[in-house]
Amino acid sequence: MRLSVFPAALLSCALLVTCGAAAPAGALTPAGAPASTSTSAGALTSAGVSAPAAPEPACGSPYLIDQVLPNGARWRLCWEMRVIEGLTLTGVTYTPPRGRPIKVLRSTALAQIHVPYDSGEPRFHDIGTLGENAVTLASADCPGGERRERFVCVTTRSRGHGYLKSRPGEPNLSAQGRELVVYSAFQIGWYTYLVEWAFSDDGAITPRVGATGSLSGFDTGPEHGWPTRAGNTHIEQSHTHNIFWRLDFDVDGRKNDVVEQYDFPGSGTAKRTLSRTVFTKEAKAVTAPARWWRVVDTESRNADGHRISWEIGNSDSARYRGPADEAFTRADLYVTQYRACERLASANPAPGCAASVDRYVTGQRLTDPVLWVNVSYHHVARDEDADPMPTHWQGFRITPRDAMAENPR
Amino acid sequence: MGWGRIVMVLAGAGAMALAGSLFLVSGEQGPQAARSPLRTPSPADPLTGEEISRASEIASATLRRRMTTGQVELLYIERGDDKAAEDRRRADAYIYDYAANRFIVRTVDLAEGRVVAERAGRGAQPPPSRAEGERAAELLLADRAHGGRIRAAYARAAGRPLRSASDLGLRALVYTPRPAHRGAGACATHRCVRLLVRLPDATWPDTTRIVVDLSAEKILTLEGR
Repeated sequence: MRLSVFPAALLSCALLVTCGAAAPAGALTPAGAPASTSTSAGALTSAGVSAPAAPEPACGSPYLIDQVLPNGARWRLCWEMRVIEGLTLTGVTYTPPRGRPIKVLRSTALAQIHVPYDSGEPRFHDIGTLGENAVTLASADCPGGERRERFVCVTTRSRGHGYLKSRPGEPNLSAQGRELVVYSAFQIGWYTYLVEWAFSDDGAITPRVGATGSLSGFDTGPEHGWPTRAGNTHIEQSHTHNIFWRLDFDVDGRKNDVVEQYDFPGSGTAKRTLSRTVFTKEAKAVTAPARWWRVVDTESRNADGHRISWEIGNSDSARYRGPADEAFTRADLYVTQYRACERLASANPAPGCAASVDRYVTGQRLTDPVLWVNVSYHHVARDEDADPMPTHWQGFRITPRDAMAENPR
Repeated sequence: MGWGRIVMVLAGAGAMALAGSLFLVSGEQGPQAARSPLRTPSPADPLTGEEISRASEIASATLRRRMTTGQVELLYIERGDDKAAEDRRRADAYIYDYAANRFIVRTVDLAEGRVVAERAGRGAQPPPSRAEGERAAELLLADRAHGGRIRAAYARAAGRPLRSASDLGLRALVYTPRPAHRGAGACATHRCVRLLVRLPDATWPDTTRIVVDLSAEKILTLEGR
């Protein structure tokens, strides 16, 4: 466990669990309004749902995304295609069914796609001018949705069972969940990267990137690759995609945001203990079994009196660790104090600013935390990766924790 | 997929110079520019084409002579989104000074019509602009060994000879030397790029050992791992 800069006294800070009230098992709620994608003026076109007014959005059409999902939950955000970072989302606000708007993120975008090949070379930092390499999406590339300025798809899709509870003598209590999805595609050399954020009706956010397009075709020895094509003459070189996201959380506004890490030590024993670490200063952290983090607003509380937060889970990473000159790959989560010039996790294009995220961590006290999430995927090619290469996905989860006092259904 | 069309502007009474002052012109913007210039933009909207043109002009006002001679290049304009000024319409102009190998970011406040901040330094490299990528490709094609290999691969794939760099699908990435690399030490201070080159048959010849030193206008070959 690497917890380099937080006060040692906090490392074993135990927290008594005071569980929030269980969600009331009420009667089936009436069917919500059909999902609606806002149109040109960004106005809601849904019927039957009256979400409370959110603060005036900071963007106008066609950059405003304002979506009410069938359960009445509403997501509102702005998008922008930046020259360097590509698709960037700002002012991300969630309004639970019958609830008030809660700001979650001030902004989020990719912060690097680092692709080192297994033989040691080449090693790419794929974020150059991502925005200049956006792929024009055809109608079929944005099923059921709306294309914004050719490069951005705004759509909704099912996310399977929101819940299913059997009840003796009664119909099952169940609902299909739905999510708003915002994505763009970028052509970076042989890869097409699908850069996607899903905003679900229960307040969760799933950022993920899919790599498709083509394999590089780089030939290597059998110790660094896998034979593709006929026979054993071509060994396709294995490689890793280390994808970094920058997330400027502003949970319920800019003030009072604190980042906590949760652990549950007790392996090999019958009991597990909840352990909370508060990051009072900039920090680097690595993933561990059952470990998660949250950004909590220390002042805002839900109707149960619990502090509102969004939780970050990063359990699907291949945890690539690079050589000394790639120290930015050596942690899975970085927490840094907001600085406008810190934009990319490596090859940061800002004179007078540190070059990579590991160097942003200087022990500064955190009053406005920015989170950097690093998710690795190790790609060992297979015959099925023949053109067009099937999409392989990597990402993580951001889940509300006590933003609502009950299941937001 | 378009970059903002870049036009040369006559500097003073001088003749059209290849490396004239560069302005990103409204009307044909890349994807990052707002396409709805008719109304006043909201604070978080992308920059409009008009704002990009104006920011380019303001940011390069004191650099025109050196831009004409190709010493300084305006790479692109990005919307400034510093939290400390989020109610302001600001633009960051990314500029590279080839004469001094210095990277400059000038922040323009569009309402005030002036540069309100400048940061400059050596070492950090902004991503290459499209114009730089094309220049790198021209240098590569002019190289007898590496250029010849690309031309031959193109002719095989297309069934006809390569006419110019614009026949290739290009993607330039900044190259930063790694401790294990030999042959590209100059790139510690120079502006260097690697090129990914797509041929008409959607294949990518291996160009990963080739580095284009744009500062010295030289082709370097990487050695070592």
